[in-house]
Amino acid sequence: MMGKRTLWHKIQILVTMGAVAVFLIPVFLFGSPWPMAARDYLEAEGVQDSGAVNLVSAIYLGYRSFDTLLETIVLLVAILGTLGLMTQIETILGKEQKTTSKTITFSLSDDKRSSHVLRTHLLEVVTGKLSPIVLLFGFYVMLYGHLSPGGGFQGGVIVASGIIFLSLGSGLDASAKFSGYKALGRIEAAAFLLLIVVSMSGIFLGKGFFGNPLESVTVLPAGFIILLNAIIGLKVGTSIGLMCIAMMGRKA
Amino acid sequence: MNPDDIVFAPVILPLFGAALALFSKAFLKGRPAVFLEYAGVLLGLGLPWLAFLQTAPMAFAGNTFQGIIGGWHPAIGISYSYDGLTWLVNILIFSIGIAAWLYSVGAGPKGPVFSTVFLIQIATLAMTITTTDLFNLFVCLEVMGITSYVLIAFSGKPGASLASFSYLMVSATAMVFFLLGFYGLYRLTGAISYLGIVQGLQGLADFGGITANISLVMIVAAILVRVAIMPLHNWLPDAHALAPHAVSAMLSGVLIKVPLFALLRILITIPQGMRIGEVLGYTGALTALFGVVLALSQRDAKRLLAYSSISQIGYVVSAWGMALQVGMETNLGIILMASAFLHAFYHALFKALLFLSIGTTIDRTGVRDVLVRRGSIAILRLQGERIPVTFLCFLCGALAIAAIPPFNGFASKTLLAHALKGNLHYLLLGVASAGTVASYIKLSRIYWPRAKDAEAIDAMVASEPFHRIHWTIHASQSFLAIVCLIGGMAITTIFPLVVRAVGAPGEGLEPSVSLYSVDNLIQTLVITLGGGLLYLLASSKPGCRILYLLRRQRHTFQGLFVSFAVVCAVLSVLI
Amino acid sequence: MTVYVERMLLFLLFLVGFWGILAKKNIIKKIFSLNLITSAVVVLFILEGSRVGDHAPILSDGIERVVDPVPQALMLTAIVISVCITAFALALAFHLYKTTGSFDIDDIRKRAQDES
Repeated sequence: MMGKRTLWHKIQILVTMGAVAVFLIPVFLFGSPWPMAARDYLEAEGVQDSGAVNLVSAIYLGYRSFDTLLETIVLLVAILGTLGLMTQIETILGKEQKTTSKTITFSLSDDKRSSHVLRTHLLEVVTGKLSPIVLLFGFYVMLYGHLSPGGGFQGGVIVASGIIFLSLGSGLDASAKFSGYKALGRIEAAAFLLLIVVSMSGIFLGKGFFGNPLESVTVLPAGFIILLNAIIGLKVGTSIGLMCIAMMGRKA
Repeated sequence: MNPDDIVFAPVILPLFGAALALFSKAFLKGRPAVFLEYAGVLLGLGLPWLAFLQTAPMAFAGNTFQGIIGGWHPAIGISYSYDGLTWLVNILIFSIGIAAWLYSVGAGPKGPVFSTVFLIQIATLAMTITTTDLFNLFVCLEVMGITSYVLIAFSGKPGASLASFSYLMVSATAMVFFLLGFYGLYRLTGAISYLGIVQGLQGLADFGGITANISLVMIVAAILVRVAIMPLHNWLPDAHALAPHAVSAMLSGVLIKVPLFALLRILITIPQGMRIGEVLGYTGALTALFGVVLALSQRDAKRLLAYSSISQIGYVVSAWGMALQVGMETNLGIILMASAFLHAFYHALFKALLFLSIGTTIDRTGVRDVLVRRGSIAILRLQGERIPVTFLCFLCGALAIAAIPPFNGFASKTLLAHALKGNLHYLLLGVASAGTVASYIKLSRIYWPRAKDAEAIDAMVASEPFHRIHWTIHASQSFLAIVCLIGGMAITTIFPLVVRAVGAPGEGLEPSVSLYSVDNLIQTLVITLGGGLLYLLASSKPGCRILYLLRRQRHTFQGLFVSFAVVCAVLSVLI
Repeated sequence: MTVYVERMLLFLLFLVGFWGILAKKNIIKKIFSLNLITSAVVVLFILEGSRVGDHAPILSDGIERVVDPVPQALMLTAIVISVCITAFALALAFHLYKTTGSFDIDDIRKRAQDES
């Protein structure tokens, strides 16, 4: 019975793989000429339209900024879901081992540090010292996204790694407070609210949904893109940082 | 403020509400937090109704709001279109949304995180039906997907995370195929919006040939995974049965229908759409039949409802496909599409009602097996429900889905039958309707009284502490029940409105509805009697044996992908 | 010629990924396979879009013949979405492991059914 079943499974896999392979060949391997209309338009008009020299930024925060909003939302929902699951797991673990309240960290707990000679403090020292530089670099990538490769998401991820470094490097001093759940959660929620308000603001100024509300105010043509980059960077950085800290088992 | 911006009210207001709910969680505590969260929900679910009111005249006049978000160049920007169909689907989304959220306040899962995710889901659903941009549709479907995976996993029941995982894997894989299909179409036409793609395809020899066909099939198949048409349905029963009840109502009522009408926007203009519609029409009719057989075989109350959803979406898809096949410019096409939408809407109402009332019942009685549990009315009475509201609501839902007049299910099923008369679909759907009656007789066993157990139940209930049923649960159930009743009674005014919103009626199209003709009543009687007979057959010894075998047919994880590949291959051969 | 070799390799990458999702029992491997097929499509899209030019689409002075920026911007979105889905899928896998004690999809299914 069992053997028959595995054979049946193997046949299923073979047939399916064959079908998918044949089915996909035309899409993967055909070669009609690449459509140039959108590229040519962007090359000619992109900078005037959006004010961003980086055309990728121009598209994803200008022409298609609504996609980017939704993308941020995917991240938000994924993080809310992950944190929810983590709390569920904690309650399961709590039932299993009520006596030992164990938190998983990469560095040793305080009472063991002095006794454990072989374990170095290399990780804590290096990450702690490195984190300000990483944070600074993250903000640079975030704010210069309209001119150079980078942008809110990329910068945000670097900021997130800076935050993780902070959390790894901190024992229990002041920086631990910052990397706790609460502050990050607050920045995240505020950034999300701000993002929605900014995207709505065009409606009230007569520029339409996701219209540029700064068009008549600022001299900087890419002002709106810089603003969106900054907000998205903050949002992404705090969200991913929050999730990683939650996965490391740190508690606020 | 531009007048066109009003079409974004159903998208941006729930998002704003979600942001407020999240803000309340992060910054406030106690009463102010709850207040801000509820304010956000009210803003997100309530205020868009004003926009619907405002846009109603334009929706019924057959006008369309079209444009590009932010006013960018059409080759790259995101285009949208808000017409009568969008308006109708928005009404569907928000009416079920309100009922489901209200229920969740009483029965859980509540809290700011749930409200945030829920509102985001509502906003995405509204955007899915508004967008006419293929890549934006991709993003919307992904957000819709991830909100539903998260909401399913919220229930914390054993198996819920597996259900969520299966759904995630199959739909994420399908979305990669969607992306590949998008690549194929972009490469051929250089356009992202539906209109640009259609124009591009029309300029090509043979409409783009095999590459265009296959790309299109991948997109259609990926969306059909969300619609859960057979054989792509296997993820659905677990997910819908194990999710929290409010989420089940949302999933079964709304989430499986909105992608279907979003797909309509693509297929309606594309040259290959007619053929795809024809194939899907037959698939839908078969889905209706097989879905109901599987529903009849279930013992778990919520699984029975989930399979019944598959069957009912089959009804919708068969009329929907037929409408595409005959063409939406013809009178018959418009009537068919209006009936399909109406059945989708009414199914959303009564299926949400059924999920909520059955959910209350199984929460209170603790047993999900329809063959074991009896006398639920008595138990609910012991828990402080003096008037059997939950039972009455269930009765409304069950009578509606079994197409008994004067409930709304009778109206929409009769309209469907009228529109489909003379086709094979008609016959298949007729048999499926009898099966529906039988399966709901089976489900109603949960409420049948059983005198000799009464004392045992009393003892059991008295020994367990219980909370009173929250008023919001009753409010949400009664709201849906009343809407079901009104939807059935006022069909003579509703149906012409729906027809006008779906398409500009041509000459000689006067949607006359004579529901209570002798023919229709006889037909209903025959189907109901057939259903009763089928139930008796199913509860006989050999019937039980067959159903047991059907129920034991466990789907595997691998099967999800096998059927997806098969659907892709078959569709591409048939087109 | 290299064009076809590249396409063929990406095609194989996609097939390997799909085979992993289909046939591998370990759910972590399934999640990785999902990433593989997403990467295959993303790389295909960007690679094909980059054949029309020589420079990154940043219009500093004197830069001409840039590659098509549209695929890059679109795939940026797709990548972020895929990362989010992966993160949540991994959290689910962890949860499944904690509740059932296994990463094998068949075992998990069996145990989940026993429990409910």
